[in-house]
Amino acid sequence: MELIFIGFFAALACGIGLYAVSVPQDGRVWWWLAAAIVGLVIASKLIGDSGTGAIFLDLAELAAVALVWSHGTPEAAAAARKYLYSIIPAIACTLIAGSLVGTGAEVPGPALQKLVVCLLIVGFALKLGLIPFYFWLPAVASAAPAMTTALIVSVVDIATFGELAALREVSPWVFGEYAQVWMVIALLSMFGGALLALAQTELKRMLAFSTINDMGFLLLGLIIGGPAGFAGASLGALNHALSKVILFGAVGFAERQIGRTVTLDTSGLAARLPLAGAAFIVGALVFIGVPPGFGFVAYWRIYIAATQFGGPTLITALLVVAALDLLCYARAIHRTWLGPAQVPVTGAPAYLAPGVLACLAVMAVLLGCYPSILTGAAASGLLAMAQ
Amino acid sequence: MINPVFVPTGVLFAGALLEIVLGGVLSRAAKGWLAFLATAIALTAVLAMMPDVIHGQVLTATLFNWDAGISLTYHVDGLSILFMLIGTGMGSAILLYAVGYMAEEEEGTTRFYVLMLVFIGGLVILVCSANLLMAYFAWELIGLCSYFLVGFWYKREEAVDGARKVLIITHLAGYGLLAAIMLLYVRTGTFLWTDPAVGAAFSGAIILLMIVAAMAKSVMYPLHTWIPEAMNAPTPVSALLHSACYVKAGVFLIARMYSIGPWHGVFGNLLLLVGCLTMLVGSIFAIAQTDLKRLLAFSTVSQLGYIVTGLALGTNLGIAAGLFYAASHALFKGTLFMCAGAVQEATGTRDMRKLGGLSARMPVTSRVWLVAAAAIVGVPLTNGFVAKWLLFDAALEANQAVVVVVAWAVSIITTFYFFKATLSVFYGMPAHDLRVEEIHEVAPTMQIGLGITGALCVVFGFAPQLVMQPVIEPAVHALGFDWQVQVTWLGVLTGSGTIGVTVGAAAVVVVAALFGVGAYRLVRAPAGHPVSVFTGGDPLPEGDTLGAADFAEMAEAAFEPVYSLDPDPLYLLIWRGIKDAAAGVRRFATAGLERQPFLTAMVCAAALFAGVWLL
Repeated sequence: MELIFIGFFAALACGIGLYAVSVPQDGRVWWWLAAAIVGLVIASKLIGDSGTGAIFLDLAELAAVALVWSHGTPEAAAAARKYLYSIIPAIACTLIAGSLVGTGAEVPGPALQKLVVCLLIVGFALKLGLIPFYFWLPAVASAAPAMTTALIVSVVDIATFGELAALREVSPWVFGEYAQVWMVIALLSMFGGALLALAQTELKRMLAFSTINDMGFLLLGLIIGGPAGFAGASLGALNHALSKVILFGAVGFAERQIGRTVTLDTSGLAARLPLAGAAFIVGALVFIGVPPGFGFVAYWRIYIAATQFGGPTLITALLVVAALDLLCYARAIHRTWLGPAQVPVTGAPAYLAPGVLACLAVMAVLLGCYPSILTGAAASGLLAMAQ
Repeated sequence: MINPVFVPTGVLFAGALLEIVLGGVLSRAAKGWLAFLATAIALTAVLAMMPDVIHGQVLTATLFNWDAGISLTYHVDGLSILFMLIGTGMGSAILLYAVGYMAEEEEGTTRFYVLMLVFIGGLVILVCSANLLMAYFAWELIGLCSYFLVGFWYKREEAVDGARKVLIITHLAGYGLLAAIMLLYVRTGTFLWTDPAVGAAFSGAIILLMIVAAMAKSVMYPLHTWIPEAMNAPTPVSALLHSACYVKAGVFLIARMYSIGPWHGVFGNLLLLVGCLTMLVGSIFAIAQTDLKRLLAFSTVSQLGYIVTGLALGTNLGIAAGLFYAASHALFKGTLFMCAGAVQEATGTRDMRKLGGLSARMPVTSRVWLVAAAAIVGVPLTNGFVAKWLLFDAALEANQAVVVVVAWAVSIITTFYFFKATLSVFYGMPAHDLRVEEIHEVAPTMQIGLGITGALCVVFGFAPQLVMQPVIEPAVHALGFDWQVQVTWLGVLTGSGTIGVTVGAAAVVVVAALFGVGAYRLVRAPAGHPVSVFTGGDPLPEGDTLGAADFAEMAEAAFEPVYSLDPDPLYLLIWRGIKDAAAGVRRFATAGLERQPFLTAMVCAAALFAGVWLL
């Protein structure tokens, strides 16, 4: 599974790189920091679940803070500060927890166990921007360039989620007895993220809240565990990474072309930017798990796991959230991209960036049509992980 | 060697792939011919499978391993063949029609043909899949195709609004099917509906969830409101949506539920109620329409009510009636849509108030329309007559007198609004601003497309046994029912309840004809003669006759209470409630949580510590 994640990150890095050639980001510093983030994340995956790997990932998170700062605007600096103030305690929490229990394979005493679990929940909730510890994510999404946020949520966050998945494997006791607490965080993130996304008018903030919502889904899969839960969470993480690059990329490209923030009142963008519009629409539908997109491959597993774990009540809750997601994205698609064009395009014509996004969108659909390419290869690893 | 079972699917998807690859070099017409060819080959392949299925065989095969442990496995029985024939048969005619229709379209023809082929291919997968998860996959695949096709003209407000409604209503209801599949899997450990364990676990909420999903797809009241809004799509899309590939998916699911396990009882009665209500509401809403395609859309709602009612009867005759009606409806509704599209193509409008007198300028279209309209009304010698006859017979046999009365009343209303549409569009004097001299018959491919399906309405009316024995009977057997239908030439039943049904059907025809004559006199009173409307002493001004609009107003006034049954205001209320809830959460988040983020984080962390400690 780690190899699949590494391959995915590398592919996304290539896509993001090509996109950034076409849609200039924040100069040379951006390139260095982006390369550092991808390099550190891949290195952390290659090293595995040792302490060094975690440190590499923490460094990637700090580099992500610098990436936001590099944008240079006062809003970006404020968002970066928020991000930093979240990341530092998060790193502290996870490091202290790690130092208290060592490798985590042995179950500590009850008091220590509770302390460690609390530290881990707070640490990962801060890193992943889960509700109620989500403050930095919408601020970063709003202030930083779209592809910067994409890099954070698709690479850094997903790698952090991978770290959490590894922890689930090595130290199942962290989740076993405390599943209810994790579940509350997951459900809060799912429902809260979905409703907050629905309440946004600015597309980048909407995407940020939908990231929180999706993280809730992934966390739920991880908490429930079992073959379906693990596989659902892992594949969902890949889907999240791929879709969010497409979605943020399309919005970023549109912002560059129209010279202002994309909101729900920016109607008819697809008439001017058809390829980016198509990529956004496909990316959105894939992200929320509509077949034949890749998202469905993850979601059906999470639904199965949820039905096995919580019966009709939990599957109903999940489908209600899925319905909210659909309403949210359908509104974004229709009020931003479709309909008669109302905003003039001022940017120079560019084909590479939308081309890259379209290729990623096609990839997301092909993976949904024939997921055996991934799931077949990963099945044995996932099964071993589940056992 | 390729298993013949997969040929229809393979050819359709290969056609879509070829369209993508060659889209840049082929002309618009060539793309159309390619799509038609692919569908025609798929139809031939389905026909080639029929002999085995007629002899009671079930063709099974596994195409490929879609996901870890989940295969695309086909289980082709009589029901699959029936719906594949509807999909590929109507698809072929509609794509032939589309060659001419799309010839002037400046952009998006590759996208159009790819989506049409995938749409039909999706239906084939749905009706053949033995795996419920793959069936759901196909269910949503056709949903997505219809969304993109309805929104084909994505720069037009009305087209994308319609598409949005299609997506929201059908996809949300589709979660019912997904939840049902998940519950079945958790109970049985398999996705294969052919596994007897699935049948044993098929009960309660699972059935209800599937029915809800089917209701949205097959436009049952109150989940029907997406279909009139989907009318701003290209006509071939409307035709395919209404006749073959979309609304029929819901019908298929209801029928297939009989194969999965016993479910009838209380759910059957519920569905009967929904079917009857849908018949009535659809037809009453159809009267009030002045847009030709919207009228046809509401008539689809009404006709689907007939089909579902037949299936909901749950008897040998009822199932046969429902399935034969589904096949017949595909033919006449597809034809009517193609005719409506031809009218719009020729005149630039589908507003019946702006049309009239087209029969002289468009003789082929008007004659085919007449045949199809006769079929939907249930005039003898058409397939619609046989379908209605069977349904009345089935309802009588099942002692469902209310169903007979409702179906009879709806037949009359159907006659009324089809007279209105026919007279307003094809007969009488042309509307003032209609440039009659510039109107002429549509392209030959379009005429052939609608001509074929129109002719089949008569062929299967004269000789229903051509479709009964080889297609409907195996489908009925596939659902576990006995074949009890005996028909002769001209569709006359020779089996049970002959006298009652004959008298009933004859009465329907006579009353409908009388009603129609009355309607004709009102719609097109001879010009220059006073209209017998009391105006205070003087006749209406010369040339001021009653037209479609007047009828719409009359109907609106007469059926005012029924129009309040429109569920859209309720959906709007739900949407506003969700939006208000989202706004409330946002206010709480921004004014409370986000104003002091670090304080909030610390408080939440402290609460978390306390919570964990108490566990």
